[in-house]
Parts: sequence; C-alpha cells; structure tokens
Amino acid sequence: MLFLFHYIDMFTKWLKDIGLQAFIDHYPWIIPGSQAVHFFGLALLFGIIGLLDLRMMGFLRGLPIRPLTRLIPLAMAGFGVNVVTGFILFAGAPYMFAHNIAFEWKMVFILIAGINALVFLVSGLQHKCETLGPNDDVPIGAKAVAVVSMTMWIGVMFWGRMLPFLGNAF
Amino acid sequence: MMHFLQWVENLGFSTWVRESGSVWSYPLILFLHTVGLGFLVGPSVAIGVRLLGVGKGLPLPPMKRLYPLMWMGFWINAISGFILLMADATTKLTNWDFYVKLVFIGFAVWAQQLIRKRVFDEGDEQDLVIVPRTTRYLTIVMLVCWTFAITAGRLMAYLGPVSGAPGLTNKF
Repeated sequence: MLFLFHYIDMFTKWLKDIGLQAFIDHYPWIIPGSQAVHFFGLALLFGIIGLLDLRMMGFLRGLPIRPLTRLIPLAMAGFGVNVVTGFILFAGAPYMFAHNIAFEWKMVFILIAGINALVFLVSGLQHKCETLGPNDDVPIGAKAVAVVSMTMWIGVMFWGRMLPFLGNAF
Repeated sequence: MMHFLQWVENLGFSTWVRESGSVWSYPLILFLHTVGLGFLVGPSVAIGVRLLGVGKGLPLPPMKRLYPLMWMGFWINAISGFILLMADATTKLTNWDFYVKLVFIGFAVWAQQLIRKRVFDEGDEQDLVIVPRTTRYLTIVMLVCWTFAITAGRLMAYLGPVSGAPGLTNKF
C-alpha cells in the first residue's frame, strides 16, 4: 500500500502551500461541522446504494430495480458531500491521515467500490436488471456486484472509524 | 449519583473498553455504532426522499420491509451506545449534548413510527400515490431530527467534559 504515500505527501505539502490548513485552523467549527455532515452523507450514500444492493442480493423483493437505479444520482450527491467534507477533514489535519494505513485502505476500498459500480454500468448488467419485474431474481453477476458493493461500503466505514486507532498517526 | 457513575466507569468491562488499546474494544464498538447509523438513518432517508417526491416510480408498500432493517440498526446502536456510555459514564452522562442527541433521536424515531402508521399501515391507495401534506411535514421533521441527532452525536467529542481513554481524544 506504500505506493500512495508519495502522492499523499505531495498533496499535503500543496495544502500547506495554498494556506488551506491555516484557514481551517482559524475556524474551530469547520472540522466538527464537516464531521457531522460526513455522517449525513454516509447515510444518504449507504441508504440508497445499500437498498439497491439488498434488492439485488434477493432481499426486498417487490421493489422494481429501475426506480432504485434512478436514485443513484442522489447517492452520488451523498458521495460528493463526503468527498468535499473528507477533503476538508484531510486538509485540516493532513498529518493525521498521511501515512495512516487505515486511510490508505479506506481509499482503496472506495476505489474498488467505484470500479465495481462502473463494471455494473458498462457490462450492461444494470440495464439488464432495470428491465426485470419487481419480484424477479437478478443475474448472478449482478448479485456478485451487490455483495462486493455492500462489503466495500461497510469496509469504508470500518477503515474510516479505525483512522484514529490504527497506524501511527494519532 | 456521581458515585454510581464512577462505579460504572470503573467496572472491569468499562475499563477494558476504554483503556485496553485493543482494536476489538473501543474502536470496534465505535465502528458498530457507525454501521448501526447506516442501517437506521440510511433507509430512513431513502423512505424520506421518496415521500418527498424523489423517485416516484418506487412503489411504497414494499418499502415497509425496511422497518425491520432500521430496527436492527436501532438496536445495534442502542447496545453499542450503551457500552460507550458505560466506558465514559462520568463524562458522557454529564454532558448536556448527550441529552440533546437523545431527544432528537426520540423525535426522529417517533416521526418514523408515525409515518409507518400513516403511510404503510393505514394509508389507503390514494395516500400511496399522492403523499398527504401532513405526512410530508412529518418526513421533514424526521430528516431534520436525524441531522441534529447526528450533529449532536459528533459534537459530544467537542462539547462538555472530555471523555475517552487518557491520551486519546475522540475528536476524530
């Protein structure tokens, strides 16, 4: 996982150079506020993606998949909120995250979740699922996508929560 | 009262949770508290946005089955929260912000249950197509209460008495 460290160091230095860290330090409510919003973004993202995952895994029959996938932009909005608040949290205390193994794993899990979602879209699996009826079983490939997605997002929460406890940073 | 809180905080289990330094104690319980949040507030927000008119193609009746999932999240958090309170009884239970959090959770769950009654249990077919205005207001109350509950929860690390193991701030 060490390959990321170099880029994280460059990024940390850049944040210092542009004065963002100093700005965040100046307003003590920015960090707690961003943390609170980060959790709400989590609920929005996990609420919608988790719903879709559970439906594809075979729970929640009766829900048609087409309207569920239409909610994906809202989940992306939740993700966007968390990218922004996550960026602020990183910028406010880069030394806490850089070289933190939990942070690296969190980024890797997000990356895998993203690739997984992309595979779902470009493989045509998403389209195939959208044409199914509310009680139909999804193809095995879509089930696999759902399991990976669920595992990765719960994993993201795990690594996020482990940030202060694993590694050397805190 | 303070004696009782001290007694709770000094129990072997409480001390282990707070100070063992094991990933399976305090960190794991905090993680479970986050997962519980995801399973409780996540579906709640999904139902909420649907009731406010997002994703109208989604039929409401099957969404009733999210309730057991939300209750699972609720109990994960009630239990993990209880353990976290034991570990920091003297500081968290004397933190006014904790009671603010509790009140907002209470209102959010109450609104969630009223929505269940109005929409899923007693709602006629018309209610499931055009959501009545009072239900929409209730939904907004619920979403606002979750927002405040989450915010108050996170702010417990910043407001009131400092809790947590020596040398470990809860600020992240």
